[in-house]
Amino acid sequence: MAMYIRVKHSKTTYFIQCEPTETILEIKQKLHNLIDQPANDQRLILVGTGEVLDDSKTLADQKVENDAVVALTLRKEDNEFEDINIVRPDDFYQSREGDSGNW
Amino acid sequence: MKKEDTVKLISAEGFEFVIDKEAAMVSQTIRNMLTSPGSFAEREHGEVTFPEISTTILEKICQYFYWSLQYASLHWHETNLIMIKESRFTYSSSLALASKSRGKETDFHIEPELTLELMMAANYLHT
Repeated sequence: MAMYIRVKHSKTTYFIQCEPTETILEIKQKLHNLIDQPANDQRLILVGTGEVLDDSKTLADQKVENDAVVALTLRKEDNEFEDINIVRPDDFYQSREGDSGNW
Repeated sequence: MKKEDTVKLISAEGFEFVIDKEAAMVSQTIRNMLTSPGSFAEREHGEVTFPEISTTILEKICQYFYWSLQYASLHWHETNLIMIKESRFTYSSSLALASKSRGKETDFHIEPELTLELMMAANYLHT
């Protein structure tokens, strides 16, 4: 395995094994196997830069590196894509605050 | 990549991480759940819930599984996460596991504030 990316949508993260030479379309096809949404109804956005990733380009072309976080958005009923929807855990810092309250 | 070849790990807060079974098997505990005979619900649904592992820690553990697949040498057990037990983590401002066979770029970085919880989870997961 050369690399993996973390594809995030809502409260779910998909770890996808891939090669830098793979195209975004190939990544979407892998996701299709997991989420029942065809590639055409998926949009992938590199979270670091906010760039919408192009189906025909490779991961390397668009500087998507190992362990990168990529947001998945899905086509809505009105044919538009939804906004980036990633729920972030605040568990860790909350628990820290909770701890400090006990001292 | 097929759905049957993945497993879903669920954190205390209900966040889900879908990873390759191959990666999950880095954990001896998860391996046992997924492969032992009998009717582990985990094996049938391909889902494992960890009510005691927070989301941040579970994500770090998943990253570790993949790091382990990527870089672990034949002596991979020597780089086990559980080894951080032996590190003086209170002394160091940052901590990293390095695979023996490769250079610095393959370090597995662990934020110091995560160390204790991560250590407990690694212990539980036999990782």
